[in-house]
Amino acid sequence: MKRIARFTSLCVVLVVVAALVLPTGARAEKEIKIGVLYPLTGGAAAAGRELRDGAELAAEIANTAMADINMTMAQNAGIQSMGGAKITLIFKDHEGNPTLGADLAKKLILDDKVDGLLGCYHSSVTKTVSAVAEQYGVPMINGSSTSPSLTERGLKWFWRTTPHDTWFTKDLFELLKGLTEGQAKGVKAVSQKDIVNLASACEKTEWGSFVSELIEQFSKEYGFDLKKSLLYAKEAPDLSSEVRSLKASRADVLLFASYTSDAILMIKTLKAQKIQPKIIWGQDAGFETPEFQQTMGEDIVGILTRTVFLPQVVKVKPVAGQVNKLYKAKTGNDLSGASARSFTGLQTWVYILEKAGSTKPADIQAAANAIEIPGDQLVVPWAGIKFSTSGKEIGQNVLGSGLIGQYQKGSDGTVGLEIVYPFDVATTDMIYPFPKW
Amino acid sequence: MEALKNAVDFSDFPRSDLIIAILVGAALLIFPLFPHSAFAMATMIQFFIFSLYGMGWNTIGGYGGQVDLGKAQYVGIGAYTTAVMLIRWDIPFWFSMPIGVLLSVSWSFIIGYPLFRLKGHYFAIATIATSLVLKDLFEVWGFVGAARGLEISPIKYAPPDFLRLIFREDVYYYYVIFVFFLLGILYMNWFRKSRLGFQLRAIKDNENVAQSLGINVHWAKIKTYAIATAFVSVVGSFHACYIKNIEPEDTMSLNLSILIALMAMLGGAGSLWGPIIGAGVLIPLKSYLKEWLGASAGLVGIDLIIYAAIIMVISAAEPRGIWGLVEKIRRRRSR
Amino acid sequence: MDILFSSLAAGILFGMALSLVALGLTIIFGVMDIINFAHGEFLMIGMYTGLLTAQAFGIDPLLTLPVAAAVGFLLGIVCYLGFIKFLLRGPMIAQLLGTFGLMLFLRNLALLIFGPNDRALHKGILVGKSFDIGLGIVIPATKLATAGLSLAAFGAVWLLMNRTRIGKALTATALNPQGARYMGIPTERMNALAWGIGGASVTVAGALIVNFWSVNPYIGLLFTMLAFAIVALGGFGSVPGAFFAGIVVGLITELPGFWDFVAYTFEFDWMSDVPMTSFKYMWVYVAYFVIMVVRPRGLFGWKH
Repeated sequence: MKRIARFTSLCVVLVVVAALVLPTGARAEKEIKIGVLYPLTGGAAAAGRELRDGAELAAEIANTAMADINMTMAQNAGIQSMGGAKITLIFKDHEGNPTLGADLAKKLILDDKVDGLLGCYHSSVTKTVSAVAEQYGVPMINGSSTSPSLTERGLKWFWRTTPHDTWFTKDLFELLKGLTEGQAKGVKAVSQKDIVNLASACEKTEWGSFVSELIEQFSKEYGFDLKKSLLYAKEAPDLSSEVRSLKASRADVLLFASYTSDAILMIKTLKAQKIQPKIIWGQDAGFETPEFQQTMGEDIVGILTRTVFLPQVVKVKPVAGQVNKLYKAKTGNDLSGASARSFTGLQTWVYILEKAGSTKPADIQAAANAIEIPGDQLVVPWAGIKFSTSGKEIGQNVLGSGLIGQYQKGSDGTVGLEIVYPFDVATTDMIYPFPKW
Repeated sequence: MEALKNAVDFSDFPRSDLIIAILVGAALLIFPLFPHSAFAMATMIQFFIFSLYGMGWNTIGGYGGQVDLGKAQYVGIGAYTTAVMLIRWDIPFWFSMPIGVLLSVSWSFIIGYPLFRLKGHYFAIATIATSLVLKDLFEVWGFVGAARGLEISPIKYAPPDFLRLIFREDVYYYYVIFVFFLLGILYMNWFRKSRLGFQLRAIKDNENVAQSLGINVHWAKIKTYAIATAFVSVVGSFHACYIKNIEPEDTMSLNLSILIALMAMLGGAGSLWGPIIGAGVLIPLKSYLKEWLGASAGLVGIDLIIYAAIIMVISAAEPRGIWGLVEKIRRRRSR
Repeated sequence: MDILFSSLAAGILFGMALSLVALGLTIIFGVMDIINFAHGEFLMIGMYTGLLTAQAFGIDPLLTLPVAAAVGFLLGIVCYLGFIKFLLRGPMIAQLLGTFGLMLFLRNLALLIFGPNDRALHKGILVGKSFDIGLGIVIPATKLATAGLSLAAFGAVWLLMNRTRIGKALTATALNPQGARYMGIPTERMNALAWGIGGASVTVAGALIVNFWSVNPYIGLLFTMLAFAIVALGGFGSVPGAFFAGIVVGLITELPGFWDFVAYTFEFDWMSDVPMTSFKYMWVYVAYFVIMVVRPRGLFGWKH
C-alpha cells in the first residue's frame, strides 16, 4: 500500500514539477524569435528539409553582412532598425498533422514567446496554425501553402507571400488557350479539338481537392471538356485503377495535383500502362521536387509543371543566382519552389521587421499591411510583395506570379526545367505533344 | 436515487486508494492556478480527453472483454455533428452534443447488431473495418467538407462563449473537460455495480454459462457498446470545439482507435482506475518524449521507437496493465 | 470493353500478389492463434531488403528473393523467440496491442534508418517493361512475374505443409497443440518455425512487390489491413483460402474499373460522377463485414 501511494504521489509530483519547470519565459536578449512550423517528418519530410534549409539560409543572410548579395537585408548584420537584433528560428515539426500543428503553434506562442510565425507548407496545417495565431494576435507569414481559402477568411494576422492555386490554375488554362493560338514558342497553333478533352487526378486533402474544383471551374470558363476528375489518397501504394480510369476517359490532357511519392507513382503507372496523352501537367508540389526528378530520370521529359522557381530563373534574376550559389554550397541542391519560397517568406519577415522597428504585434501588423518589397530583391520571379488589405482576399500578396516549366533534356544531357509560360519569358521551345515513352 | 448512491459509493476500494484519488483530484483541480507552460496545459487536457475515451472503451473492451478497435468513427460522428450544427445553423454545443450522442448511438446499434455475432479476432478486425469505411465515406461527403474537413472560424464567435464552448484560453476548456472527467468516473463507478456490469463480467468469464443463466448475451454486448459509443461521442464533440478543425484523417483514423484501446489496456482494462492511469502515463510520456527527442535532426522518430518499445514491454510482461500489476502485488502482500 | 479486361487482369494479378502477402499471416495464425499487426511492416522490411540488396550488389531484383527470404525467416524467428512467445501467455487484447507496438517499433526504426523518402527500383530486367496483349490489356512484366512467383510460393508452402514431416508437424500443432506435444512434437520449435516461414513468405512478397511499388516506412499499414481482410475472408489458417481470397480482394480493389466499364458502355453519366476510386479499399472492408456476418468461417476456415 505504501509503495503504491508513493508511486502515485511520485507521478503527481512529477507532473506538477514538469509543468512548473518547463520553459515558460523568454529571454530578454536582443533577439527576435520566429517560430517555424514545417513537416520535418512524415510523407513530406523531403520538402520539409528544403523548406528548413531555405529559411535558415535567409536568416543567415539577414544576420550577417554579405556584400556580394544584392539584397538590402544582406547589407547589414541583423535588423538595423532594432539595433542589429538577430533573428532566431525555432523549428517545430508538425508531421503534416493539423492538430499537432495547432498545439505546437500554441507552444511557440505561449511558451517560447515567439514574435511571429512562419509556415507550414501543408495547407491543412496552415489552416489550423493560422487560426491559433489569429486568436492570440500573433503575426504569421505563409510562404508556400497555396489553397486559396486561406486568405479568404478575413484574418487580420495572416499574410501569404506565395500566389495561390487560383492564379496557377488560370495560368494553365492560359497556356492551353495560348497553344491553340500559336503563342507557345516553337509550336504551331494546335487545333482546339486536339486538346479539348481533359482529365484530372488530384490528391484529396485540402490542397488537391481545391485544385480539382478550380480545374472544373476553369474548364467551363475556357470551353474545355473535363471528362473525368478524380481524387485519390496520396499514400496509396498503387494507382493503377486511377490511371485506368484516366485512360478510359480518353482525355488528351492529363492534369495532376500530387505530392512527391504519388507523383512518381502516377507517372510510372502511366508509363507502365502505355498511356499516351498529348499533355501532362502537374500542379507543382511533388512534380517539382528533386526526388521526382532523380527517380524518374528521362521519363519526365515533356511534363509540364506549375512552378515558382527553377534554376533557369537565375538568367533573369541575378540575385537568385547569388543566393542559389550559397544554397548549393550549403545543401548540394539548387533552390527549388519549396526552398525559394521558404527563403522568401523569411525574407519578408526581415523586411517587415525592419519597417516596423519593433516587435510589438500592432507595429508588425501595420508594417506588413503597408510594405512593398520590389521584385529585384526577391529570388522568386515575382513583381514584388505587397499584401491586399481589402476585398475578398486579405493578406494576399498581389504581385506574385507563377511560371509553367517543362522538363527538357539539356545540351549536357541532364534533365531540367525550362520556362514555357509566360510566353514572353520562355527560355526555350516547348515540346508538344508529349513524347512517346 | 439508488443509482446516484451507487455512483458516489466508492467504499469497496481500499482506503489508501481513495486517499490517493482525492489527492490527485485536488492536484488536478488547482493545477491551472500554478504557473505552467501552455504545453503542460494542453497535455493535461489531452490527458482528460483520453481518460474519458479510455473509460468509455473500458466498458466494452475491459469489462466486456471485446476488443473494439473502431471507436474513432464515433469520435468523428460526435465531432462532426457539433461542428456542422455550429457552422451551418449556429446551434450551441450543449444541444449539438446530445444530438451527436444520439446519432452515434443509433449508428452503433445498426452495426452492433451484426457486429456482435462475431467474436475475438474476427470482431476486432470487423470494428477496424467499420471505422475505416465510415472514415472513407466522410472523406468524400461534401456536406461535411470531404477530405478537407471543417473549420470553426477563429474570429466569428467572441470568446468566452459558454454556450458554444468557444474559448481563447485553454483553462476554460480544462475545467469543462475536468467536470466531464469527474462525471465519467461517477458513471463508471455506477456502471460496474449495475446489473449490466455484472452481466458483462459473467459473459467475460464464460459466455456459454452466462447464456444458460438467462442473460441475453447479444443484447448486453450491444448495450455496452452503445455506452462506450456515447462516452466517445461526447468527447468528440468537445474535441471539435477545442481544436476547431476536424478532418477525417485526423479525427477518425485507425491510430486514434488504437490509442483509445491502448489507454485502457495499458492502465488495466476492466478496472475503474485503469484507463485513467493508462492515459496518465501514456499522454505525458508521448508528448514529452516528442518534445525532448523528436525534433532533433537525425534522431527523427526515436521518440516513437521508445513509445513503441514501452508498449511492447507492457503487453508482454503484464498484459493486465499497470493496475493489474498493482493488484498482483497486493495479492501477494496479503498472503 | 478494354476497361473490363484490363481491370480483370489487373485485379487478378494484384490479387495474387496480395495472396502471397497474406500467406504469412495465415500460417502464423493457423499455428498459434495470434494476429500480427506488424505484418505489413515485415512486408516493408522485405521491400527494403530487396531494394537495397539489388542496389548494393548491382544485381537484378529478382535474384534478391533468397536474401529476402532469409531475412524474413530470421526476422520471424527472432520476433517469436524474443517477444511473441511472451505475448502468448496474455489475453488476446494484449497480443493485439503488443504486435501493434511491434508495428510502431519497426516502422519508426525503418524511418530512423532509411529516412522518410520513397525509394524505388529503376533497374532490372523486368522493371518498366510491359506486355500489350491486345484487348487493351497492358500487363506490366513485374506484376506478371509476381503473380507467377506467388503461385510458386503457394505451391511450395502447400507441399511443405502436406508432404513433408515438418509440415505435418506444423499442421498437427495448429490443430491441437496439446495433442501434438504428447506426440513428441516440439511445439515451441514449431511456433518459431511458423513465424519463420510466415516471415519469409511476406518478405519475399515484399521483394517482389518493390519491383513495381515504391517503398517508404509508412507503407505497412495498408497491407496489414488488406492481409487481415484476406485472411479473414479465406478463413484463418487456411492456405488455399488465402490464395483465393487474395484474388477476390484483388478484384474488389478493381471495382472502380468495373464501375467505369458499366458507366461507359451503357452511357450512365451519373455513374462517372461517383468517386469510385476514393473507395477502392473500402469495398474490401465492406465485403469482409458482409462475409463475416453471413459466413463467419470464411471460405475455407476450419478454426474459430
